Amino acid sequence: MKFNVHRPLLGALLMGAALAGCSNEGGKTEQTAKAAPVPPAFELASSPPRHRLMSAEQYQNTISHIFGSDIAANAQFAPLQRTEGLLALGASTAGVPFGEMQKLQRAAALVAAQVVDDGNLDLGVPSHRDSLIPCKPADAALPDPACAKTFLGMTGRLLYRHPLPEARLTQMVDEAGKSATQLKDFYAGLASVIEGMLISPEVLMIHDRTEPDPERPGRRRLDGYSYAARLSFFLWNAAPDDRVLRAAESGELSTAKGRERIVDMMLASPRLEEGVRGFFDDMMAFDTFNNLAKDASAYPAETGAALTAAREQTLRTIYDHLIVKKGDYRDLFTTRSTFMSPELGPIYRVPTPKGWVKYDFPADSPRVGILTHVSFLASHAHPGRSSATRRGKALRELLLCQPVPLPPPNVDFSALNDPTSPFKTARDRVSFHLQNPVCAGCHKITDPMGLALENFDGAGQFRATEMGTAIDPSGALDGKSFKDVAGLADSVRNHPALPSCLVRRVLSYGTGSPVEREDRPLVDYLTGHFAEKGYRYTDLLREIVLSPAFYDVTERAPEQKSASAAN
Amino acid sequence: MKHSVLASAAAAALLAAPVAKADETAPPNRTIGYVVSGLYWAVYQTADGKAECPNGLNDGPREHFKALFPDNGAKRPVAETQLKREAAGYFPTTTDEPFTFQLSQSKIAKGLNLDGKADDNDFVGPDGEKGIDNQLFRVLGCVRGYRAPDGDAYFFDNNTLITDRYDRWLFELTDVDSLVNDDDVTVTTYRGLDGLLKKADGNGMLAGGSQVIDVKWGGRYVAKIKGKIKDGVLTTEPTDVTFPWATFGVPTDREMRAMRMQVKVLPTGGTGLIAGYTDLENWYRQTLRSSSTHHQAYGQVSLPSVYRALRKAADGNPDPKTGENTSLSSALDVTLTQVHIIHPDRPVAQAEGAVKTAEGVKERAGARR
Repeated sequence: MKFNVHRPLLGALLMGAALAGCSNEGGKTEQTAKAAPVPPAFELASSPPRHRLMSAEQYQNTISHIFGSDIAANAQFAPLQRTEGLLALGASTAGVPFGEMQKLQRAAALVAAQVVDDGNLDLGVPSHRDSLIPCKPADAALPDPACAKTFLGMTGRLLYRHPLPEARLTQMVDEAGKSATQLKDFYAGLASVIEGMLISPEVLMIHDRTEPDPERPGRRRLDGYSYAARLSFFLWNAAPDDRVLRAAESGELSTAKGRERIVDMMLASPRLEEGVRGFFDDMMAFDTFNNLAKDASAYPAETGAALTAAREQTLRTIYDHLIVKKGDYRDLFTTRSTFMSPELGPIYRVPTPKGWVKYDFPADSPRVGILTHVSFLASHAHPGRSSATRRGKALRELLLCQPVPLPPPNVDFSALNDPTSPFKTARDRVSFHLQNPVCAGCHKITDPMGLALENFDGAGQFRATEMGTAIDPSGALDGKSFKDVAGLADSVRNHPALPSCLVRRVLSYGTGSPVEREDRPLVDYLTGHFAEKGYRYTDLLREIVLSPAFYDVTERAPEQKSASAAN
Repeated sequence: MKHSVLASAAAAALLAAPVAKADETAPPNRTIGYVVSGLYWAVYQTADGKAECPNGLNDGPREHFKALFPDNGAKRPVAETQLKREAAGYFPTTTDEPFTFQLSQSKIAKGLNLDGKADDNDFVGPDGEKGIDNQLFRVLGCVRGYRAPDGDAYFFDNNTLITDRYDRWLFELTDVDSLVNDDDVTVTTYRGLDGLLKKADGNGMLAGGSQVIDVKWGGRYVAKIKGKIKDGVLTTEPTDVTFPWATFGVPTDREMRAMRMQVKVLPTGGTGLIAGYTDLENWYRQTLRSSSTHHQAYGQVSLPSVYRALRKAADGNPDPKTGENTSLSSALDVTLTQVHIIHPDRPVAQAEGAVKTAEGVKERAGARR
């Protein structure tokens, strides 16, 4: 099994950008606002072939798509390492340790048992075997190679994301037959093979296979099945379905016209929602909600259910704005339209009937854009208080792709944590912090925008005062000053790094590879087109998945990278 | 439900409201909603119980069965033993039984002076108020199941209130110019449809949730009552009410005549008493239906004995033909939690207008600062 390792130059490049940010308040690392002409870098763009571990969500979605949403797949994957702002990039360097494999096997056994179960009418449980297995054995207590071959061939093709070679299929049918004989149960025999499929490295790992690109002599591209898988895991957050695999089988995905047809079909599919949610959940670092807890005495409304709903609220808002309304990506940071649930009602202090309902914050509300959602405010704060620094840092790193260096290890927080401290507001505390030149360098690039969110406490609840002192929500972002959170929202919305950062993240997420310095012309080009199309997210997805960068693959040698970086 | 027209509709509603009379404690739109989040039959207890129950607590079904049918080797048919005792519950009588029912001997009881008199049968309130009417306490005061903190009826009635949704009782206060002093407010009762929200630490209920009114099946729970608030305490005029009740998931209704409230109200909730004359047959039948014999045994609630005591202690609503009283003065300890009450039968904009809670106004006012 081969794992690609990120190129070593990357860390140095990022650190350089970060330090630049410290010295010039964030420095505009991305400056593209208008479309550039198609550069050679675009036509010749490619990404390295990857070998990625499927995520828990992708596993669940795949099981759901193949066997039905009532099949529970409680597979637990070890947390991935966030790399270049995305967990998805960590999947390229992840493996499955033995302990995790045991858990996966248990989950696989449960899935297999559900797939072949006969239901229980008394309990209202339907028979899955009747709907999922397209044939019946002549004798349910004996092997039936023909029926097994039909089912395993069909299922294996979807799980492995390509047709099973005849020899492999025959081997599986034989294994199912042996188990059926031993257990005197045809379906138990099938279950044993399904369980094996579900923990197969070929299923769990998304392996890019390549072939010579006949349109570009000397270059290589993903083969049809690998392109289908890359497309599907990107756009649907799940394995490709029968239609996409058929397009790979027929060679349709090897033609520009065929790729366009399939991509348009996938973009129009309801399954796109899973893909959009999967990407933004990753980009917004919402995995922090898996472990997020707040001080219950300080924030009694911030229950576990409320935090779960907060994550869901923002994902719903994003999907509704970008896909349903086909809105401008930048407007996510100024939109007042969102969704509300009963768990969130006490935090936002609004009445909310059962379920999720559309909700518009009033025009004079301080809630403007997703930065003022509880999800962002609570996840980038301390358990019992707000944090201008954490919020500013998250804004820089997650949304503007501007890394902020870690604090030095010897920071003296005693003055800030002193309960008798004279500092009443976060602004007072931050001002004290800025007196220390060691701290000031980086706090200057995080705190001025974080302070604009100080009208929201650590739970994301609105407050006009802190310890009896009126909160001053003024701030600045890269030279633009504002008097309140609405000004921050406008500044973020119009920040040139906002769309280019999204382009970088989407490109990285889709290909599984970090965007390198030599990819900047490509990012600039894509960002320009993104702007020309009114910052419509689906147009960006379409442009990326149909670009050579998505289906052409090249393993760049270190020398090539150095040469490219020098240009 | 669409909230998009919120701003204009709510602003118009606010402008139309006669806010000039309102003080700074007035809720937005002069309206505030509460949901009942705690409801216990008011039983005054001393630390050791000797003052109110000098002869100890009452025996329950298990002890009575053992007394009636001692384990002496005699063979008895089920119909003459277990089923007979079950039948005694379902067909209660007032004839004497070989057990002494311990009525509460307390001089003190929680409750209100329902009849405006102070006679020998009345109690004195914990604060010294005379004329407290609470004959239901006289019956239940020495029944273990109704005593805090671990009586089974005491616990399970309220546990069901929290975990179920059937017994969701709402109070909407309108025309409120002040939560401290207002001599004319309107209280409307409803049944709600939604769950309660607990605080993050699991202790207590969270204010600020929402309750949609049951307009389809909840008509019998609607009562419009006049009231006033003095020094932060809401009191209401006597009104006959039906309110939802459930124990162990068994939905029932309670009937209370001349019900009135005496509740300290705050923006986040309230505590106090709901008192009135509880219909005897209604109380007994619903209690019997909700708790089987083994539940009664947990709390030593021998319902055939309780019935006899109820009939003797009844002090209200005499039957016009027989002259026999059909109800008992009673009181419930009540805890209210503030909620947004949503009227699904009103235009959406009005429901959305409820966004102008005290906190919501603060949030928006803060934005304009």
